[in-house]
Amino acid sequence: MKTHFGIDLCRRFATRDLCRRFATRDLCRRFATTAALLALATPAFAASGDADVGRKKSAPCAACHGPNGVSPAPDFPNLAGQHADYLHASLKHYKNGKRKNPIMQGQVANLSEKDMLDLSAFFASQKGLDIKY
Amino acid sequence: MSPSRILLAAALAAFAVPALAQDNKITVQNKIAQCQGCHGIPDWKTAFPEVYRVPKLSGQKAAYIVAALKAYKSGERDFATMRAIAADLTEEQMQAVAKYYGEAAATTTADAKK
Repeated sequence: MKTHFGIDLCRRFATRDLCRRFATRDLCRRFATTAALLALATPAFAASGDADVGRKKSAPCAACHGPNGVSPAPDFPNLAGQHADYLHASLKHYKNGKRKNPIMQGQVANLSEKDMLDLSAFFASQKGLDIKY
Repeated sequence: MSPSRILLAAALAAFAVPALAQDNKITVQNKIAQCQGCHGIPDWKTAFPEVYRVPKLSGQKAAYIVAALKAYKSGERDFATMRAIAADLTEEQMQAVAKYYGEAAATTTADAKK
C-alpha cells in the first residue's frame, strides 16, 4: 500500500525525533551512571591504602624514620600517627618535584600510587604524633 | 653623667628588661595562636587545589619543625599559607614554636593516653 507522502514524512520525522530523544536519554543515563560510579569510587580509592601491605614495603623508610615511625635522628620527621592524607600528599609532592629533598626524591622515584597509599596508611596507623592545642 | 642620671638609667633598664621579656612571651604566644588556627583543630584540611588534612605537629622533631619553617620562609617549600606565616618569624620564634610542639611535649600526651 502506498502511503501518502505527507504521512510518510511525518512518520519519519517522528521516528527520528523519538530516536534522538531516546539516544539522548540513554546517553544521559549512561553519563549519570558513570558519574555516580566515579563519585563512589573516588573516596574509596583515596582511602584504599592498606596498612599491612604498607608495613611490608616500609623497610627503606625505617632506616631514617624508624620501624615504628619514630625517627632516631633529630632532623628526620616522625611519621607515626601522622594523617594518612598528609603523608600521601607529601610523597606525591616529592615525586612531582613540588617538594624538594634529595633523599626523599630518590626514595619516591619508584613508588607507585598504590605504594604511596599503603605506606601512608601504615605510618598513620602507628601511635605517635598528636594534635596539640 | 651625674649620679642621679645613672640611677635613673639603671632604674629604667631594670623596668625595661622584664617588660621586653614579657613582650617576647606575648609574641611567641601570638605566633603559636597562629599555628593553632589550623594545626590545633582535629582534621582541619587545606583548601584548593589539593585537599588533605594539615599535619599533626605535637610530638614532631623540634629540629624538623624549625627546618620546615625555614624552608617555607626561604620559599624552598611551597605552601602559600605557611609561607606567609613563616615570613614573619624570626629564628628565635621558630625555635620557640618548635619547642612548644616538640617531641618532649608529645611524649607526655602519648603517656597520658596509655
